[in-house]
Amino acid sequence: MIEFLENITPSTTMALVIHAMIPLGLILVYALFAIWMERKVAAHVQDRLGPMRVGWHGWAQTIADMLKLLQKEDIIPTDASRFLFRFAPFLIFVASYAAFAVIPFSSGYIGSSINIGVFYLLAITSLLTLSVIMAAWASNNKWSLLGGMRSAAQMVSYEVPTIMSVLSVIVVAGSLNLMTVTEMQSGNEILGFLPNWLIFQNPFLLVAFVIFFVSILAESHRVPFDLPESESELVAGYQTEYSGMRWGIFMLAEYADMLLLSLLGVVLFFGGWNSPFGTFMDGPVWGFFWFMLKGMLLVFVMMWIRWTLPRYRVDQLMRICWNILIPASFVNFVLIALWEMIF
Amino acid sequence: MESYIPIIVLLGIALVLALLLMSLSRLLGPFRPNTNKLNPYESGMDPVGQARERYSIGFYLVAMEFIIFDLEVVFLFPWAVKFTELGFGTFVAMVIFIIILFIGLFYTLKKGTIYFELKPSISNRT
Amino acid sequence: MDYLYDLNTFIPATIAAAAGLVVLMQSVYKVKINTIFGVTVFSLVVALLFALRDLFGPVGTSFYDMVAYGGTAAFGTLLVITGTLFCVLISRDYLEAIDHHYGEVYAMILFATTGMVGLAVSNDLIMLFVGLETMSICLYVLAGLIKEEKTGAESALKYFLLGAFSTGFLLYGIALIYGATGSTNYADITALTDISPLFMAGSALLLVGFFFKISAVPFHMWTPDVYQGTPTTLTAYFATASKAATFVALILVMSRMMPEIEGVGWTQAISVIAIITMILGNLIALVQDNVKRMLAYSSIAHAGYLLVGLAAGTADGYTGVLYYLFAYTVMNIGAFGVIAFYERNQALDFTDVNNYAGLGYKQPVMAVLLSVFLFSLAGIPPFVGFLAKYYVFAAAVNAGHITLAVVGVLTTAASVYYYLRVMVFMYFREPHKEFDLVNPGAIFKYALIVLCVLTVYYGVEPVFPMGSLIELLTSYYTETGPAGMAGP
Repeated sequence: MIEFLENITPSTTMALVIHAMIPLGLILVYALFAIWMERKVAAHVQDRLGPMRVGWHGWAQTIADMLKLLQKEDIIPTDASRFLFRFAPFLIFVASYAAFAVIPFSSGYIGSSINIGVFYLLAITSLLTLSVIMAAWASNNKWSLLGGMRSAAQMVSYEVPTIMSVLSVIVVAGSLNLMTVTEMQSGNEILGFLPNWLIFQNPFLLVAFVIFFVSILAESHRVPFDLPESESELVAGYQTEYSGMRWGIFMLAEYADMLLLSLLGVVLFFGGWNSPFGTFMDGPVWGFFWFMLKGMLLVFVMMWIRWTLPRYRVDQLMRICWNILIPASFVNFVLIALWEMIF
Repeated sequence: MESYIPIIVLLGIALVLALLLMSLSRLLGPFRPNTNKLNPYESGMDPVGQARERYSIGFYLVAMEFIIFDLEVVFLFPWAVKFTELGFGTFVAMVIFIIILFIGLFYTLKKGTIYFELKPSISNRT
Repeated sequence: MDYLYDLNTFIPATIAAAAGLVVLMQSVYKVKINTIFGVTVFSLVVALLFALRDLFGPVGTSFYDMVAYGGTAAFGTLLVITGTLFCVLISRDYLEAIDHHYGEVYAMILFATTGMVGLAVSNDLIMLFVGLETMSICLYVLAGLIKEEKTGAESALKYFLLGAFSTGFLLYGIALIYGATGSTNYADITALTDISPLFMAGSALLLVGFFFKISAVPFHMWTPDVYQGTPTTLTAYFATASKAATFVALILVMSRMMPEIEGVGWTQAISVIAIITMILGNLIALVQDNVKRMLAYSSIAHAGYLLVGLAAGTADGYTGVLYYLFAYTVMNIGAFGVIAFYERNQALDFTDVNNYAGLGYKQPVMAVLLSVFLFSLAGIPPFVGFLAKYYVFAAAVNAGHITLAVVGVLTTAASVYYYLRVMVFMYFREPHKEFDLVNPGAIFKYALIVLCVLTVYYGVEPVFPMGSLIELLTSYYTETGPAGMAGP
């Protein structure tokens, strides 16, 4: 990809910049689309129509919202820590976008094919916890602080099963480079017709995926684990004092996080950009299509769950993590390692 | 080192974009602060006391548990990548390591460290 | 299966750790406390037997040179486990009496023992650090056992903060040494040919970290408060087992790691520290009315005597320190044990020396035991404390450190005052009020009697088995020189 860009642009620096802008542009487009999709899914689950006014079936609704947000007044409360209050949105924005650098979007495009890809991704997403706490503390508002503390407790707790299920995949794949992990999943050889996706390669990886999916729901604050910002009790959690574009950035980062974790799940369990039909519809462009399709399917499931399940209570949330998910993920991890050792 | 350059560029672009969005909203939005607007939001009531008070020790306990498990995971990472080459002996050693950790986890769970347990928790005894 | 062999060389610590986990699980399931006590004692006895086996076994290193076995390391293991065993034996009735008898106490003691053994057998700075931290963190918890009282909370907090601080020094020193030499292994560092300022700074910081842990003046501030606020039998544990482990590690560092290059010896620094430690520890102990504080300052003073042997830097010096550690462990646990027995009586505050009036005739056996231990601590013949002091001072004189020996003898003479003061109160004063002492209990009594027998038995002369052991230990140093013991 970068060679191609170097050929068509005047300088290497420009090629690099364009190369780095690709995931960013992609994510911005995705965020606009995902917010619209969320509303549509919500509406249809509740037997409504959802946004219909702006454009065909309201497709431009998010753009209109964006423009509205830009014109909103930007309020910083008197008692807030001004520096941290302003810094938190930047941190969350940068952290959630920087993580996309190691996601292989297609066989021809990956931001940076570093050997410690998974490690980098997990490290940089843990910055999200920090920025949430920062925003909560800086706001000097009770709802914010409560929401922020809950959020931090939830995110750090669910980080353990997330990492453990990712590690289970690493044991099977034997590499931390996401490109390598994807490449080893090409082909259709399991039982003669199933694609070589990791989820089919080891029965325990199915369990690992369930744990992973539950954990990423909690990591990205989705229902039924949306306690940090549960509207009915905490107003908007750590975002309570934020308004205008600052709030918009938090929103964008949340959606980006959702996509990021879904894409990670696709890479680790569902073959990344590999076509489900072997060589049929294969290649860099089709790879991108398949990759985003799988990712959006996972995102859709997350939205679907949001309008189907009620919210957990805070003690149930923690008990699910520490009493069930963490022991299960560790046992599963050992079983996967044992399976790999024997076969 | 070469492969980290795109990451740094990406970080820079994200920062620039965020700055751009913020300054756009500054330019386009109104700016008319008043006392009521700048108060902390407490569902329309006058704010009561400070927000930054001491909160439950349970949060700290969760954080400590997390640190233990996070560090353990760091130990597991290199082993997970190379474990087939390291052989069965190392596998047994790792399993022992995990078992020891689990005894600790089990102990803390039994003692009700995870503060959100509603019944005999430490947090209720403020 | 190489590491099974490695594990065999580290078996006492492994047993202690495994027993600690078992005890932890038992205390979750509310198993009877006496069962937990039994498991603890049993595991320690087994570990002790293994340590004895290792003592006369081969010498070498295992776990990729991380761990030393045999020789000094084995003796250190033996000391630590002996100390722990006796502390556990006297702890049960005492903790029962003060209502803090939890299974977790034993778990913590066992984990701390694991750390101490790791410390005493370390052959690598990383192992040293891991052992020290495993030990310290458990000890912080034990220091705060009586958290309902201010002294307990104070002791835990002080110990934790200062301990963390000193660990910082130690770790920084390790980092600098690694930076200067590119290795954390003792043998590799010894092979170093040129000494850089970086290495000197690192070694100095390392020693400061050690001085904190052994409570040498001027790093002793935490000791009296911590010793006072901790339950007495656990104070005995702090004062003996942990100090023994740290000193053995210090000997290993001094004798194996510090390179033999002209002009590089820490003798001068250690001598100065030893002198002020001896003087200050003994002087402040003179004016203490609280028995536990008095013993705390006495333990500071003893750290000074131990440093004298270390400053000598010869084979005799190191052997003397090891023998002193044995003597100190035995007599100090004994002294703390008898005080713990008195404290079990709630009639008076028996940490105050004034309340010891007339105790000599109430439970004569206990009073005699305390007298023996205090005489021994004061270094009066024919008890083990005398012989230990003799070895250490003789080594200093032979190595040409006359000043050290003179200061040592003079301060020892001064120390007799405060040790004998307790006995004066016990035998020559009338009691303030009438009360009855509780029955000491069989385990408690016999543990103390065994300690007393050891105190007397080894005081006459370093007889078998300890005598041959001293020869054995000396041989490790003399065969390969003071820096030696490089392996089998």
